[in-house]
Amino acid sequence: MIHVWQLTKTYADLRRGKIVALDGLSFDAWEGQIYGLLGPNGAGKTTALRILSTVLQPTSGSATVNGFDVVRQSGEVRRQIGFVSANTAVYDRMTAWEMVEYFGRLHDIERDELRDRMERIFTRLQMQEIRDLLGAKMSTGMKQKVSIARALVHDPPVLIFDEATSGLDVLVARALLDIVAQLREQGKCIIFSTHIMREAERLCDRLAIMFHGHILAEGTLAELRDEHSEADLEELFFQLISKHEQANRSKERLEVGG
Amino acid sequence: MKLQNIKLILAREVRDQLRDRRTLFMIAVLPVLLYPLLGMSFLQVSQFLKEHPTRVLVVGGGELANHQSTPRLFDVPARRFDRALFHREGEADLVELTFADADVLLPSRGAGDKASADQLAAAARAKMRAGHYDAVVYFPNDFAAQLAAFRAELKSRARRTSDAPVAPEPRPAANANVVAERTKIPSPVIYNNTSREASQIARSRIETALFNWTTKVGEQNLIDSDVPKIAARPFSLESNDVAEAGGREAVTWAKILPFVLMIWALTGAFYPAVDLCAGEKERGTLETLLSSPAERSEIVVGKLLTVMGFSMATAVLNLASMGMTGAIVLAAQPQLGEALQLGLPPVESLFWLGIALPPVSALFSGLAVALAAFARSTKEGQYYLMPLILVSMPLMILPMQPSMELTLGTSLVPVTGLMLLLRELVMANYAVAATYAAPVVGVTLAGCFFAVRWAIDQFNSESVLFRESERLDLALWLRHLRADRLATPTAGMAVACGVLILLIRFFTGIVLPMPETTDGLIVMQAVTLIAFVAAPALIMTCVLTRDPRATLSLRLPRWQTIPAVVLLAVSVHPLATLLQHVLKTLYPIDTESLNAVMARYADIPFGWMLLVLAVLPALCEELAFRGFVLSGLRDAGHPWRAILVSSVFFGLAHAFLVQQTISAMIFGVLLGYLAVRSGSLLCPVLFHMIHNAMLFGLFALGDKTAAAPEWTKWLFDPTGDAEAAYRPPVMIAAAGLAVMAFVWFRRATRQAPAAEPISETPSGGEQTAAQIPPPIPREHATA
Repeated sequence: MIHVWQLTKTYADLRRGKIVALDGLSFDAWEGQIYGLLGPNGAGKTTALRILSTVLQPTSGSATVNGFDVVRQSGEVRRQIGFVSANTAVYDRMTAWEMVEYFGRLHDIERDELRDRMERIFTRLQMQEIRDLLGAKMSTGMKQKVSIARALVHDPPVLIFDEATSGLDVLVARALLDIVAQLREQGKCIIFSTHIMREAERLCDRLAIMFHGHILAEGTLAELRDEHSEADLEELFFQLISKHEQANRSKERLEVGG
Repeated sequence: MKLQNIKLILAREVRDQLRDRRTLFMIAVLPVLLYPLLGMSFLQVSQFLKEHPTRVLVVGGGELANHQSTPRLFDVPARRFDRALFHREGEADLVELTFADADVLLPSRGAGDKASADQLAAAARAKMRAGHYDAVVYFPNDFAAQLAAFRAELKSRARRTSDAPVAPEPRPAANANVVAERTKIPSPVIYNNTSREASQIARSRIETALFNWTTKVGEQNLIDSDVPKIAARPFSLESNDVAEAGGREAVTWAKILPFVLMIWALTGAFYPAVDLCAGEKERGTLETLLSSPAERSEIVVGKLLTVMGFSMATAVLNLASMGMTGAIVLAAQPQLGEALQLGLPPVESLFWLGIALPPVSALFSGLAVALAAFARSTKEGQYYLMPLILVSMPLMILPMQPSMELTLGTSLVPVTGLMLLLRELVMANYAVAATYAAPVVGVTLAGCFFAVRWAIDQFNSESVLFRESERLDLALWLRHLRADRLATPTAGMAVACGVLILLIRFFTGIVLPMPETTDGLIVMQAVTLIAFVAAPALIMTCVLTRDPRATLSLRLPRWQTIPAVVLLAVSVHPLATLLQHVLKTLYPIDTESLNAVMARYADIPFGWMLLVLAVLPALCEELAFRGFVLSGLRDAGHPWRAILVSSVFFGLAHAFLVQQTISAMIFGVLLGYLAVRSGSLLCPVLFHMIHNAMLFGLFALGDKTAAAPEWTKWLFDPTGDAEAAYRPPVMIAAAGLAVMAFVWFRRATRQAPAAEPISETPSGGEQTAAQIPPPIPREHATA
């Protein structure tokens, strides 16, 4: 469903020089599966998902979504995915209904079908009471619901959630996780990036721990636990990252010494 | 691009803008309120000017009433000027007079003393302040008496002449002189305070009254001297306006309407553009839209059309509101229209404005969207309005100058050409308009195209869409420039170098005086080239790049290119003279000032002339424009774009005359091509040197045609003017030769290494030009 191969992305930055946001990232994710990207802030999760949603272009490497290349067939790729991110906001001067309808129309869905589908989605996400509320007047939770409805309106085979629970209260976050789990039952391929261990533990079928633009460890939760003989995911995460940082530091020392 | 998606985006953006109160205020409420408010205050001001009563202190004028024979100035009991002195009924009642004795202004002094003008003015000011007078009229001591005496004298002289028998003697003339000399009547003085509106009104009323009174006194004097009244003005002047009905009004409207249209099209485009692009970035909805199936081109076009719609709506609403207010004001004050030569604009003008509006809006919308897309936030976006206005304002104000006419030259200037064309259309000069419609439309459409392209490019650029805010740290930035310098300069450095050279030229041009002597001229020419053109480029090369040789293309070309370039330079020269001739016809030069400048150069000995006008310019200008600037610009991408931009800088550096700028731009393209194609700076230097030498050689020859050797007669027509002196067959042969030389050059450089991009030049200095250099891996700085 999603194949990411040796993806790199570099930026030039005045202060820090060349920044490697992604450093040869590779992973595969399949339908009916929630693939978790776990990593601290700045690990490159958002960059990777932006490339998958064709908002950014990779410096090198390749990625395909449902068989379409993110660079050469970017239009097709965008039809295959629903993208919910902390950066995909809701229009202030549009009501919930207008917002979802607008994106549905951009996805070229027939008016009648769109209305039926939207009624179902609004009911399912319990959004009927906010359907005529302007985005500017919504709470964070309401906005996130609208974003999810917007991402689901064209019934995409792939869904990407980039730190989708950040800023949400416990109740709303839990409701969102339920929705994600339901979507898996429908056979969607879901990429779920987060830095909250509990969410990853509860939800993800496979997990990748990202740091400095590449994956440190990957597998099912059980595999990771066995491999690193650590039951607690948070502890495991912490150990992996500190080990990696130590290795980096000694490498630097070696380079400086040599 | 799908029409359906563009329509969807357009509809959404329009609705979004209509729901935004700020936009609605800018485009609809402001114009609808602004002009009526302006009109109302205008009416009130004129009403104020008409009806405001004023108080005037008359010092020392009271005695005038005692001299019955003098025409009446005051109506003392009614405390006003005589009614007959004003044209408008009731105006006399608006000036309330207070009479005072002459010594009121300076009571401490004796009546016999002559007060100085300053003292009187100070006293008048004090009086005005103390008594709340709007003005003071001061009649000097004995004014009335002296006037009466003068008049009595005139009368008695007239009686004497009429009593004298038969022929007049020569005596009366002499007598008249005596009269004039003896009675020099002191002038009355009006004191007013220009900083107060009411005081100005008072002055204008007093002036009217006194002027009319003086005329009356003069007329009365003539009558008293037995001269018919008509002698003072034996005939009157009549003028007749032959402009057709509506034509007079059209002149003013033809200037105002296009300006209003442009300025509001720009303003109306800018605010929605900032909200649609920078605002969307700021609110985080841009990424939502980018991840939807809509293509970026569809998004840009949708947004552009929205911005265009609002730009046009703003312009139309402003024009309509202005027109309505104007109509109302003119209806209320018909004499005002007469005075300003303003009536209602002709109806056809609205039609032409309507046709011109869409391209104008498209141009400004494209620019506004591109700038707004670059901005990170609405606040940053708003800052870009000022530069945009600063750039476009001169283009809009230029056509309002009385001397500007629609010519081929002006029609090629964006915005200005369109405004001038509109002016002709509003004035119904259709023949003139039709002549230049094609270039104006062409330039306008090209402008629209590039503006829209720029906007789309901005939306396709990651570094623009995801620009992160970086703190500006000058020291860090400079250190970065030095420490992380690349082999060759970046496009930004190239532009900076070009701008720096232009700025230095501009300011030194203002500060440095033109030298008086020929030697001084030589020295200044040399210093200008070396210090202000070559030096900035060389310093920037040394400081900012790691590979000066690659930056300045300092290497030998293949040997075959050299004769090819020499032949090309020689054979292109007749064509260059033709080009200059064409340019002079298009943009006529003020030949007098040109000749004055050229005559100064003519004094320079030929050897020195070759040095400062051919060798040095070739070396210095090529180092700067084909060296640093061109190789930096090539970093940004396509070589032709780099060549074009570098030649624009080259042209602007020759901004002494417009004609020079254009021909320099054209040759800049050729020189740039020579540099890029051969990979060596030697080719453009050689071409430049030969070209200049021949140009000034011909000039020197044309100056001393008589002394020229016989063979030159075969080439030149000594009777023609120096710039187009080649004989036509020579011109045609040269053109053929130039084509051959060009083909030769292309062949000679076919396998030349520098057909590769300049950025991939050899890093090792030992390699010869014939070897294929290994590319240097480069990082492209996006910041």
